[in-house]
Amino acid sequence: MIHLRGVKKSYARGTEAVVACAVDRLDIAAGEQVALVGRSGTGKTTLLHILAGILRPDQGEVEVVGQRIDQLGESARDRHRGRHIGMVYQTFNLLQPFTALENVLLGALFGRGTGGEARLRAEALLQQVGLADRMHHRPRELSVGQVQRVAICRALINDPELVLMDEPLGNQDRATGGQVLDVLLQIAEHGKKTVVMVTHDPESAKRMQRTVDLATLRSEAPLAVAGGRA
Amino acid sequence: MKLWSISLRNLRIRLVATVLTMASIVVATGLYAAILVMAEQTKQRYEGSIGGYQAVVGPKDASQLELVLNTIFNVGEAPALFPMQACIDLREGKGFSRRGQVRYAIPQARGDSVSQFNFPVIATLDEMFTKYEWQKEPLRFEAGGGFRFGWDDLMAFAAELAAHENGKRAGAAPLPPRPLLRPEWKQCVIGSRVARQLGLALGAEVTPVHGKMGEFGYHEHPEAACKVVGILAPTNSPIDTTIYLPLSVHYLIDGHEAGVFVVEIPPGKTPDDAKKLPVAPGRIGLTAIIVDPKDHFGARILRTDFGSRPDAQVAWPQDVVPKFLRQIGNVADALTIIAWLVLLVAGVSITVAIYNTMNERRREIAIMRSLGARRVQILSIIVGEAALLSFFGALLGLVTCHAAAFLLRSVVEDQTGVYLDWAAFRPWEAWLLFGVTGLGAVAGLLPAIKGSMTQVADNLAQDY
Repeated sequence: MIHLRGVKKSYARGTEAVVACAVDRLDIAAGEQVALVGRSGTGKTTLLHILAGILRPDQGEVEVVGQRIDQLGESARDRHRGRHIGMVYQTFNLLQPFTALENVLLGALFGRGTGGEARLRAEALLQQVGLADRMHHRPRELSVGQVQRVAICRALINDPELVLMDEPLGNQDRATGGQVLDVLLQIAEHGKKTVVMVTHDPESAKRMQRTVDLATLRSEAPLAVAGGRA
Repeated sequence: MKLWSISLRNLRIRLVATVLTMASIVVATGLYAAILVMAEQTKQRYEGSIGGYQAVVGPKDASQLELVLNTIFNVGEAPALFPMQACIDLREGKGFSRRGQVRYAIPQARGDSVSQFNFPVIATLDEMFTKYEWQKEPLRFEAGGGFRFGWDDLMAFAAELAAHENGKRAGAAPLPPRPLLRPEWKQCVIGSRVARQLGLALGAEVTPVHGKMGEFGYHEHPEAACKVVGILAPTNSPIDTTIYLPLSVHYLIDGHEAGVFVVEIPPGKTPDDAKKLPVAPGRIGLTAIIVDPKDHFGARILRTDFGSRPDAQVAWPQDVVPKFLRQIGNVADALTIIAWLVLLVAGVSITVAIYNTMNERRREIAIMRSLGARRVQILSIIVGEAALLSFFGALLGLVTCHAAAFLLRSVVEDQTGVYLDWAAFRPWEAWLLFGVTGLGAVAGLLPAIKGSMTQVADNLAQDY
């Protein structure tokens, strides 16, 4: 599902180049649920953006859902992301002027399209996460937990093979976050989806099948495994 | 959900800016459409009104434009009188008519009007409703029919009038009687707008007046009051505002006696001497003759015949009116340029209005990009905003133009004689609508390019 080899991404800071993310090797199998952990500044979000195709690495190979996305142009990466990858952010990133249902449909619009079934699927997803009576509300009219669930529905609307999450529970209390993660993992398991979650929370990381510490990916050694369910 | 629905939503979010920017589009489009409508209706009015007026014969000392404007468009006063002999020659006499080149030659005399609206009164023959062709068809009646006063009646009347006049000039006793205003002559046909505006129906009475109401010399002619026997169907031409009555009525109106005969002063004679000279029926004065040559050859002969005639000339509306319209067209062109400039300014205002929102929209764009939106889709959304803004602005501009035409149609018609058909949809309105929409889309390109260049990772802000 995911294969990274010798990936490096740097940013220019003045005249200096700062390495934001370096991964010698990372392999994640289809259907695997992986937590990416690491200290701040180790490049977890940058890695997530590279996997999503939002950023292109300066060097290295990135294969995601059977596609070498490091070789694709920007437009093709966008299309690939829209069709095969669902994204959930810590900041939720819902568009305020649109209702919960419309926000979910936005994912379909830029993904597999808003054909006749997209609306039915969006409504079904919102029902599944307990938002049947809130789907016509705007984000400001929803609680934090509800907003997060809308964001999860948006990530799943295109039935993606891969779900990328950047601190998805960072803004919630542990109980609410746990419930939301339950919902997500349940849907992901049911749909045999690969999940990669960046998190600082050890409890959330334990819920995943595998935990990868980003700091360990910079050596030639095999992938470091730090506990987990499986 | 479609891309255009995102564009529409973005316009609704920034409602005040949207309304203000749209207002400039409404003004520009409305102004442009109004200029086109006025120019088109004026052209239609003038070009359309010359149908049926192949040639107009009038006095020699008037300009051709003056003659055409007065005879066809009821503009201004009749320039002068010329002798009816020209009409007799065309119909019965030598030269042109003998060659059988004329389909009709209908004499006219004007000078009076009706009501405070000054609807012109034209004295003529019944051939105006039998032979004369408007747009290749005889005039149609909405109600009733024409009056009865033909060429033979005119000739008999002219002979009687000339005998009376000659008796007066010679001091004969007993004096041959002046023709009486017969009751069967006191009939008139009115145009559709005269009927509508004055609320006249068949059987109503119309009294000609001289001069303008409230001005010195204004007076009514109750002796010449005529019964309405026919109401013409609308033609969207000056015919709609005209009252037609028999020539005999015109010549027998009190006070018209002095100007009935056109007499030349022979060399060596004074005007007083000329008043004593005998007159022929052919010296009765007309203001115009409407002539229709049978073909192109007939038209050439007519031109040649009247080129050498000392008392009358022929004017060709098909030549005169386009020249006149070209002069009006220059003014319309200048106004059109102004409208284009207003439209250009409106386009710039769209660019500025949307461009200024780009900074605050970077995160929103980055979110859409992170969901898989390609740059071209972001470009489409922003260009779509500008295009939708322009489309609705242009649509509202056209509606405003039609509404203004509806509200001002009476004023414009009274002032210029141009009828504004407010309800008609013209094909160029669709072009204008889509043209302005296209212009708006172009105006949206600059902000759209800026928006589509938004960096995704940098702008996925960390705050809720």
